[in-house]
Order: sequence, then structure tokens, then C-alpha cells
Amino acid sequence: MHPENRQPKGGGFVTFPSPEFDQVVAAICHGTVSDKEAGAMNLLLRSNAAARDEYLFRLELHARLASDPDLFSVPDEGDKGTPQLSHEKTSGKRVLVAGLLAVAACFAIATLGLWWPPSSGPEEAPQAGSPPEMTSKAVAMLNQVYEAEWSARGHPSVGGPLEPGWLHLKSGLAEIVFYSGARIVIQGPTDVELISQNQASCPRGQLLAEVPPQARGFRVDTPRVGLTDHGTSFGLIVTENQSEVHVFDGMVSLDQKGGGSPILLEEGEGILLEGKKLPRAIPASQTVFTSLFYLESAAAIAEAESFERSRMASRALNRDPSLLVHLDFEGVGASEWRLPTGGYSITDESEASIIGCEWTTGRWREKRALAFQGVSDRVRLAVPGAFESVTLAAWVRIQGLDRRINSLFMSDGFDVGTLHWSIRSDGVLGLTAIGRDPGDYQILTSPPVIKLDRFGRWLHLAVVLDGGTGRVLHYVDGQSVSEKTLRIEGPFRIAAAELGNWNPRGFSGNDPFHIRNFSGAMDEFLLYSRALNSDEIEKLHSAGNPGSTFPVSEKISKK
Amino acid sequence: MNNPPSRKPGNSNPEQQQFLSLFLRSEREIFRYVAALVPNLSEVDDIVQQTAITLWEKFDAYDSNQPFTPWACRFALNKTRQWMERRKRWMALLENGLAEELAQRREELQPVWETRLRSLEGCLAQLPDESRALIENYYFKRDGVEPLASQAGRSVGAIYKMLQRIRQSLQECIQKTGNQKGVVS
Repeated sequence: MHPENRQPKGGGFVTFPSPEFDQVVAAICHGTVSDKEAGAMNLLLRSNAAARDEYLFRLELHARLASDPDLFSVPDEGDKGTPQLSHEKTSGKRVLVAGLLAVAACFAIATLGLWWPPSSGPEEAPQAGSPPEMTSKAVAMLNQVYEAEWSARGHPSVGGPLEPGWLHLKSGLAEIVFYSGARIVIQGPTDVELISQNQASCPRGQLLAEVPPQARGFRVDTPRVGLTDHGTSFGLIVTENQSEVHVFDGMVSLDQKGGGSPILLEEGEGILLEGKKLPRAIPASQTVFTSLFYLESAAAIAEAESFERSRMASRALNRDPSLLVHLDFEGVGASEWRLPTGGYSITDESEASIIGCEWTTGRWREKRALAFQGVSDRVRLAVPGAFESVTLAAWVRIQGLDRRINSLFMSDGFDVGTLHWSIRSDGVLGLTAIGRDPGDYQILTSPPVIKLDRFGRWLHLAVVLDGGTGRVLHYVDGQSVSEKTLRIEGPFRIAAAELGNWNPRGFSGNDPFHIRNFSGAMDEFLLYSRALNSDEIEKLHSAGNPGSTFPVSEKISKK
Repeated sequence: MNNPPSRKPGNSNPEQQQFLSLFLRSEREIFRYVAALVPNLSEVDDIVQQTAITLWEKFDAYDSNQPFTPWACRFALNKTRQWMERRKRWMALLENGLAEELAQRREELQPVWETRLRSLEGCLAQLPDESRALIENYYFKRDGVEPLASQAGRSVGAIYKMLQRIRQSLQECIQKTGNQKGVVS
């Protein structure tokens, strides 16, 4: 026991001035005071003005020592004149907000870990430590594809970052944009190794490069030749024993791997390197690269087709009587705040209302989506009834996980049997089921699956609560990422709920509440009063996947 | 459809810059304001951080013609109240209106303290080396009491007692210096 934790003499009373007073004030400063001592001090301070003034001064002295780094600045250190910076001289155990803000110069780090709101709700259990600043090795992104089929070893996603490494395109077209600004279109079968933001190698395949001035110096290596681009457009065909280079614009320098002097190619010129023969000049020909040049328009046509197919599939879902809510965010005027819910069985309250939010582009250029940005943005809806099982599914594009808890779909407050579907700031998907007794709840979580590489792209998220088998499964892009046993008993309810936000109704009065607004966009939301199986979830994903360019029926029959 | 201005992290804009500069200037004062109610240092840090989030979120409502610190302290008081309401010992200490009373009295006393506390740096310099090092490790480097105790080969209770005694001698030194100055002026 700490000496200062001893009860003050006199059984709950502190007098002033006295050694007990000194000792209790010290214990208060150190955070070791007992409830009883604290109560005794409360009594004294409310009744004795001199004691109160002395108490305040001691606390002020304590607080000054803790908050004025200038008091400790060493005269010959030479940096005495910069009080803000002197915070950084601390051993790093403690990060003052000032230091944090000044060093971070933005809120990214703070929002990630250190600024979580105080605990009170079920989901607010603290997490240890603060995550380190995020890093990425990505050098490029996959910009668009057309009928692309990749080798089994990797399946990059459109819009996703690409780290150094190999890409094996079996067939179709893919456009890769390097962070330097250089872009290449490849046609399968092609193997490309991304080396850096301005360098790649291509031992096999067909490649078209466009290099803007800021990416000048972009380099592509083939087994026979290294090409350095000087702000141009060129094509490359590489087979086992020959390399063809065609320059359409600007200038390219070639260095031959087997020795020989560098060759400079200008607009309209080409070169053929074959076996051990001498390099042969050829005229540059765009014809062989036609499909690569037309990737953009081919992709646009494919996209329109994909959208149409998905729209049909989406409408067909409405025939399922267990689909209670189906929001596709279509067919609503830009200034309209009412959304038809489109589901099957809700008759009386079949409208959702938009609060805040802005319209944005959805999974396809022609598809609309709702953007959630501000802390007020939300879509409110009410779903009456009680259910043994529930399935929630949504297409979302996550901008960032700004809050400790980011709401996807949450029932208001913490009422019995209600559900909260959310993403935690560390990328963990969660479904909270509220039990019957006060304080009884279960958070059914996935591993941290929503990582940076999934931000900014359309994702299909789903959660299935199966009251019959007592299981909860989370899905990302049609694939199950976790399966947990449900402890809370049904029936489950939705009642009044919000997409992209949370209404803490049920907390007393106007007290401040946790902010759980979602940051991103949503372009479809489904709520079923039954547990969909994994095939059905995969079907929802593939039917709505903007990246799938082959007919939906074909993909489903593959399952 | 009106949207509140976007508050996405990561993009430093003029509004953030303005907030940062105001907050940095007021941070110490906010810290001391909170510490007058809940003085345990790690808890003060937590409360000040939570206050910072709220201030940033409410920054739209801040009228730049008004001083920032009193505006910020209102939110700090609110955060502190929420904090103590969930912790029995602080509730026992501050209940029945004492929190508000302390905050108000502190404001009245501040001008008097400013003069008195000017001698704090000088008084710190007069401390014996061992005492000064302990104060520096505890308050400035924010070393925990346990590691300090094991370093010094003493008990945790002994370290707390030492801190209490050193603060007391600092206070005596401040008082003495204040009295001397009082004679001069």
C-alpha cells in the first residue's frame, strides 16, 4: 500500500492546515487518491475557502511543472527560443497534442489512433497502442481492363495499387498507370515486372507506352534491349527470340544488352532485333497495336454492357419476398430527399430519407451513388418486424476509416435485439447484436480486412446473421472472411436505423454522443429477413461487380 | 442538399492551419484548466486530446472575434465532466458543484499566481540535483513512477513522498521569493 493511500485520521474528515491535507492533495495529483479521501476533500473544499485557494495553488504548481517545458530547457542547448518544439525533446513517452499536431501537420495520424473517443458504448472497447504511420510500396495502379484474365497467381483489382512485382496477363487488355505518370497498355499474353515508379521489364508480350514529359526517362527492359523513353509514345512486341520497337511520337533510346552502341529512334521509326542478327530498321506501324490504342472505347462499351446486365440482375432480386429493403439510389431527382426502398414487403414505411449527403458516381459511370462525408450525412429508414435471421449487403466505396467506429448500417441506440453493422478504424468488420439484459451484447468481428488497398474502390460487403444455426459470417467481395458463433438470442430487429451514420437515441437528453459517420459512397443496399448462403452472396457480388466483363450467367454457372 | 464542410483528415487546409495555431497557443492553458479538476497527468492528457477532437469538429461555430481559450475551456470543462462522471474517485472529489466552483475560483486567482509563479524556474534551479532530476523525469520526460522507483532502488510510495516534498519546497521557495519582491516593490 502506498503510504499516501492510508486513510486520513479522523475517519473521512480532512482538516486544514494539516499533514493529512498535504498528503491527500498529493495523492490527488498522483491519481492515487481513494474514494473516501476524495469525498473528505470535497467536504473540506466546499466549506473552507482558505483550503480551497491553497488546494488550487498546489494543483496549479503541479500542472505548470507538467505543461511548461521551458522550465526544463537546458540553457546551452541552443533551442530555448522555440517553446512548441521543445515538446519534442520529451523522451517520446508522451505525445502532447501540440506536438502531435505540429509534427503530423495534418490529422491523419491523430485520427488513426490517438483520438478515439472515450469508452461508453459496447463497440468502444479500447485498443492498445497507436498504429504506426501507414506506408505503401505501391509504384503504380491498375487503371482499367477489358476482358482481362490474369494468371492464377494474382488477380489485381481495377483502381487498386500495384506494388513492385510480376503481372501475368493471360488474355484481354489492361492499362497500368505508374505513379510517375507513365502509362502502359498490355495485351495478353504478356508478362510485366513493375520495378519502380518509372521502370518495368517485359520479357514477353505486347506493350504500348505513353510517357508524359514529367515521366521522361521511363524505362522498359526486355531480354535483348533496354528502352529509355524521352517523353513519347512507343510500342513493344517481345517474343522468345525477337524484340520489336515502334516509336509513334518523340524519341526513344535503346541500349542493347549484348553490347553494341546505343540506338536512337525517332517518330515513325522502328527496329527489329532478332536472334543474333544485326538490328534491322523497320517503319513504325500502329496497326499491330490497334486494340491497345482502343482500350478506352472498348472498355467504355464493355462497361455500359456490364451496367445493363447488373441492372437487370438487381431488378430480378426484388422478386424475393424476404428482400425487405432494396435501395439502388436510382430514379431519384438530385434534390429529392425521399428514396423508394424498393423492397418486397414493407408497405407503410417504404421510404428512406436522405439527410445531408451528395450524389456522386457509382460503380459505373451512369450509376448514381450517395456520398457520405460530413458528420451529419445519413439515410434514415425504418424496418418494422422481428426476424430470426438477417442478411445485410451493400456496395460501398470507402474513402477512409475516420472514426473509431464507422457505421455502415446501425439501428438507433442500443435497443434489445437490434443490430449495428460497422467497420472499425483498424479495418475490422463488426456486427453488434444487443442482448436482452442491460449491458449484454456481442460484437461479431472479422479480422482486419478493410485495409488501405481497399479504399477508394467499390467493394461488396455483406454480413449474414443466421439465427437458426447461430452463426454470423462476414463477406468481402463475395468471399467469406470470418465465421463466428452467435451467443445473443433472437429475435432480431432493425426498427429505426441509419445507413452511414448512427443515431444514439436512448442516451439521455442532449449529452454529447459518439460520432460514427461513414466516409465514402454507397450505391446499393439490401436487407433480407433470412440468412443467405455463401453461393447467394457470391452471386450478389458477381452480378454487381463492375470489374466482371463476361456475362453474369457464365460466371455463376462456374460456381 | 447542403453539406457541412468536409472534415476529412489528411488534407491540410487554411482552416486547419488556423485551428492549429490557435490550439497550440491555448494548449497549455487548457491543460492547466483540466488539471485543476482532474490532476492525474495521464488522464489530463487524455481529456485534452478528446477536447482537441471536439474543438476541431466544432471549429465552424467558433467566432474568430472572440478569444479562443475561454471558448475552448468550455468544451474542456464538458469533457472533464464526462470523464469524472465515469470515475468514482473524481466524482467523489468534485461532486455537489465543486468542479464549477474550482474552475471559477481558479480564474479569479490566476492574475495573482502569474506574478508568484515567475520565480518557479529560479526555484527549480536551486533544487538539489537529485530532486531536480526526479522532477524533470516525472513531469518533463513523463517517466512512470514504477520505473523511477526501480531506477532509484526505492519503493513507489517513497517516490510519491519525494515528489510531494519537492513540490512543497518549491512552493516555499516561491512564497519566500514573492515576499522578498513584495518588500522591494
